Amino acid sequence: MTTATRSRFWHSDGRRLSGLATLLLLLPFFAIIAFVFIYPLAQLLFISFFEPKPTLDNYARVVANPVYTRVLLRTLWTAMLVTGLSVILGFPVAYYMSRVRGALAALVGVCVILPLWSSVLVRTAAWSFLFQREGLINSALMAVGVTSEPIKLLYTQGAVVIAMTHVLLPFMILPIYGTLRSIPNDYMRAAAVLGATRLRTFTEVILPLSMSGVASGSLLVFLTALGFFITPALLGSPQELMVATLVSQQIREVLDWPFASALVGVLTLFVTLLALIFSKTLRFDRLMGAQT
Amino acid sequence: MNVNYPSDKVQAAGAAVRIRRLEKRFQSVIAVDGVDIDVSAGEFLALLGPSGSGKTTILMSVAGFEFPTSGSISVGTEDLTYVPANKRNLGMVFQNYTLFPHMSVLDNVAFPLKMRGVPKAERYARAEEALATVRLAGYGSRHPNQLSGGQQQRVALARAIVYRPRVLLMDEPLSALDKNLREEMQLEIKRLHAELGITVIFVTHDQSEALTMADRVAVLKDGRIQQIGPSRELYERPANLFTAGFIGEMNFINVTAEGSGGNISVLLPSGERWQLPASAAVEPLTGCQKAVLAVRPERLQLGDAHNGFTFRVKVDDVVYAGSASLLIGTLPDSTEIRARLPGASDLSALALGSTAVFTIPKEAILLYPGAAQ
Repeated sequence: MTTATRSRFWHSDGRRLSGLATLLLLLPFFAIIAFVFIYPLAQLLFISFFEPKPTLDNYARVVANPVYTRVLLRTLWTAMLVTGLSVILGFPVAYYMSRVRGALAALVGVCVILPLWSSVLVRTAAWSFLFQREGLINSALMAVGVTSEPIKLLYTQGAVVIAMTHVLLPFMILPIYGTLRSIPNDYMRAAAVLGATRLRTFTEVILPLSMSGVASGSLLVFLTALGFFITPALLGSPQELMVATLVSQQIREVLDWPFASALVGVLTLFVTLLALIFSKTLRFDRLMGAQT
Repeated sequence: MNVNYPSDKVQAAGAAVRIRRLEKRFQSVIAVDGVDIDVSAGEFLALLGPSGSGKTTILMSVAGFEFPTSGSISVGTEDLTYVPANKRNLGMVFQNYTLFPHMSVLDNVAFPLKMRGVPKAERYARAEEALATVRLAGYGSRHPNQLSGGQQQRVALARAIVYRPRVLLMDEPLSALDKNLREEMQLEIKRLHAELGITVIFVTHDQSEALTMADRVAVLKDGRIQQIGPSRELYERPANLFTAGFIGEMNFINVTAEGSGGNISVLLPSGERWQLPASAAVEPLTGCQKAVLAVRPERLQLGDAHNGFTFRVKVDDVVYAGSASLLIGTLPDSTEIRARLPGASDLSALALGSTAVFTIPKEAILLYPGAAQ
């Protein structure tokens, strides 16, 4: 046995970590996840099934009352709208970012990332200013003559979707940008030399190869949008109630923990199903050209 | 754009490529500096040079990825200088295969036909045919990442010839492969070239690859052509000092040369004076000047062979390598001399530190103006 250079923390070649070191490095992360995420979630799910007694009544209430199913469906619909809009707005930006170099690239990058440095609340408040009856958008529309009197913008689903898209756009742009950047330049050249126009190079090569980025961006945006709280609460009316706001109401105003837990359970089910479908139908590794 | 293709198996005849006064500048850097190359139809031309010699820039200009600062490129009777890459109808194989990872092998090969509007049934039939040409029939349904590097490069070849381009461009296509595969692919490419009659322009920095594969080799340095000719001419009579040193191994001895025309004499560092045949001077000499005497290591003969000049070498090292042995020695002025001796040579007399006598056959001597480093 060569114990001379063997350390408890890393092997003598200095590259691989020992099992103990690996455990120590990962432990804080898993500890936090376990205590602040898995434990409370399990607790909520437990409550949804076992309070006041072992029952499915809480779930029955979610399904039975059309108001609540409507809230759930609206939440899904809003998240889908936000995701779709983010793809449409984000892809060209990501594509542009992946093409430019130097100072311009840095500038675009900063513009994309900068909003992440301010809080969601600030950004949402900014939108509520813009959407006001006497806000910039209405004044502009009236000045141009599109409308003679202010349109109702604030407290509409449109306002919620636009503001949420704005907040979530970087999470769409960055993954798409990442995959676009990873497409070797030679693929574009190969496509060109094989006879593809710029448009066909884009539709036949670049677009399919960037789908993994679009998929992961969509998953990020969609899942985050499902649980969005501040923006719908500030920019939407009660008619635009989304599930996160509903859960909050149930817990803080009605104090109905079992029902709120059941809502969380349904949402968790959605999220899990969605993640499963994504990972089964889209072979990310294949798209990325990984060895199989 | 719907190009009509004959469906019977016609040999794709190669087209001549004419490069005239090609110049390419990147800001202040001159990558290609007035290059003229004529590639005849069906010829296999290798562009050989160290990195930064401009060989890739020339190929990229022919492919249409770079547009020259000045000069012209034509294929057949067509001037392609400023035609976009996708309108040139040239075949190209890249160093890193560049098979599209999201398409099957068959779809990859059928891609150029799809871009040309060939109907689906026909393009798949022709893609299958092209795969058979590179001996990969039956691999069509696989994905590129399920193939080895050599197989991937053969698919890339199939994709580059499936639309029967008249010229095939290859940008260091074998440098990503290991040695055995590389040799296999060299033969494969040679075979395809013979079979299709296609014109090939092949960029490489591997001189043995260039010498074995190409009909002619163009040696480049600093954006200029140093020499262009058949392999044998390049090896046996390099046109200048750079080519002499770049292709194969060469001994260089700094001398002072005198005379002109049929009468050249050189003064060696040892003080000896040799009368050289006029054919030794590769470039014309003028009067008395610094010159370099060059000779291939395998042309040196051990002992006095009575067919040339003899000289003494201090033996520094002898490396036995089976078919030939390498002797490394020094002249009195410490110029290094290498000699490759046939495997059966008697090396017993060549003790380290001893002095050996070698003969340089007269016809093996090449003389260049200038000085070795």
